[in-house]
Amino acid sequence: MAPATLFAQDNGNGQTKNKTYKPVLEHRILAGFNFGATAPVGLPNTIRKIEGFWPEFCPSLGYELSYRATHKWGAAIAVKLDYKGMGTKDVVQYFPTIITTSDGGRFQGDFSGENKTTVRNAYVSFPVSAVFTPNNKWRFNLGGYVAWLFSSNFYGTVSNGYIRNGGPKGEKVNITEATFDFGKEMRTFDVGLQGGASYRVGKNLSINGNLNWGLRPVFPDEFKGMDFPLYNIYLTLGVAYKI
Amino acid sequence: MNIRKLCYLATLMVMIQSCIRDAPINPEADIETFKIDKQYLTGDIFIDQANAKIILSLTPEAFNSGLAPVITVSAGAKVVPASGDSIKFDGTGPKQYVVTSASGVNQKAYTIVVAQIGVFKWDFESWQLNDNDKYQYPVEIDSSRAVTNMMWSSGNPGIALSGVKKDPMEYPLRATTDAFHGKYAAELVTREGTVLSNFIGIKLFAGSLFLGVFDSENAMTEPLKATKFGQPYLGKPSRFTGYYKYKPGEKYQDKAGNIMAGMKDSCSLYAVLYRGTERLDATNIHTSDRILATASIPNGGPREQWTKFDVPFVEKQSYTGNEKMMMAIVASSSKDGDAYKGAIGSRLVVDSLQIIPQ
Repeated sequence: MAPATLFAQDNGNGQTKNKTYKPVLEHRILAGFNFGATAPVGLPNTIRKIEGFWPEFCPSLGYELSYRATHKWGAAIAVKLDYKGMGTKDVVQYFPTIITTSDGGRFQGDFSGENKTTVRNAYVSFPVSAVFTPNNKWRFNLGGYVAWLFSSNFYGTVSNGYIRNGGPKGEKVNITEATFDFGKEMRTFDVGLQGGASYRVGKNLSINGNLNWGLRPVFPDEFKGMDFPLYNIYLTLGVAYKI
Repeated sequence: MNIRKLCYLATLMVMIQSCIRDAPINPEADIETFKIDKQYLTGDIFIDQANAKIILSLTPEAFNSGLAPVITVSAGAKVVPASGDSIKFDGTGPKQYVVTSASGVNQKAYTIVVAQIGVFKWDFESWQLNDNDKYQYPVEIDSSRAVTNMMWSSGNPGIALSGVKKDPMEYPLRATTDAFHGKYAAELVTREGTVLSNFIGIKLFAGSLFLGVFDSENAMTEPLKATKFGQPYLGKPSRFTGYYKYKPGEKYQDKAGNIMAGMKDSCSLYAVLYRGTERLDATNIHTSDRILATASIPNGGPREQWTKFDVPFVEKQSYTGNEKMMMAIVASSSKDGDAYKGAIGSRLVVDSLQIIPQ
């Protein structure tokens, strides 16, 4: 293919009518917000009640480069700045936790009571997708992503409950309120599946939704603050502007 | 259409979140209350949950006749012998209560320790190790090594909650072979706080040793009320005697951890006799209107060598010595350790403590 064709600023809509299709590169600016949770897949029975759940302010901003090989099929790669976060308030019972500290200390216990957790992590992510464009309104993509964490927050409080020192047989210690901060414990690399759809609403503007499902627990195996894995499961709702 | 599809996805995610499973079966196996009619007691019953011991201060009649305690346990758990069963305390009855959790998985065996009012004289020769947290505590044992009395406690069970390394030497109170008499003495060393204790503003743990009990349940919420001072006492005390050594640490620090130039740490070692069976704690051991008499070493300055002290009890109000009373002895390697002030490394060793009656 000739470079002239490669960088053609044709929007592709015209090309779908042509019989001789020439592959084309497309550029898009992506902007939106992430809604979802850093959560277990299936709740453990130690979580007794979810009293509240709210999204944090989680913008997603990126640039996508796609190669449209045929009328309908292509591939895309993007670079995005993704904030992923949420807040939750729940009630737990006999919730096992092990906290290890930098001075070599260790505390292990089972907590029963209220928990409030805030998560807000910033990733640089690289989604790679196969792109299917059945008509000039719809565009679907499916693929995976890799992401690097560069700023992390995972903190909260436990309150109005008690912890049993060492486990269920240990002595009960009442807790009115205590804080925790596991931000520094988080894994810096995430990988997952992603896919979504966009619908064209203007000449160059589309609205889109994309589900990103992390496949790697956000905490390393040796972290025992929680005894079940958490995954980043977020839906990006936003717009794409073709440039 | 597209929006609707996104709504489906969002709903799906909410559904994943809202799948609350059946509650876990109760894994707890505590004796929560252990009740005996007050007329049979010389002091309040204490359940030492950390070391699975029920400490009873019985009158001689109750000790001889046996009793039928009323017991409550964790929801759904079972206890053997059952609540209401008569038990003997003279060595012929069961020495343990075994609680099995509702889940059936956990069993906790509580040893009954009957504390009779005896001679108030201690050499700190026998120590036990807490199973889970590996701190030491002094006990009295008989020839079969069964624990016959557990009069002393310390801040160790509270410090165990702060994530210290599970090693007896990491705790501020421990046994030492640097003894005045016998093989062991009690060593109290002020240590720095842990990463976890720093979260709640505690940068220093003073070594403590006291006649009384440590109430773990409220150690985090009201730490000064967790150290409950005193054991039942009869008669009128004359003098508080014993031997000690003290070396203050180099740098005195305030609660925030700032080094205070020119300040020297000092130890405290005192006895307080008070009326009633409800224990005083670190908030009122010096101020309660129930205090009858006190005895304290005159100054807590350095003592390189073993030093004998012999201080008379000073009567604060008149009393007969026949009422229900408690005697507290409190030792600390940093006098202001209750306010988290002192010098890291301050070391107090005490041995051969005694309350001499009139």
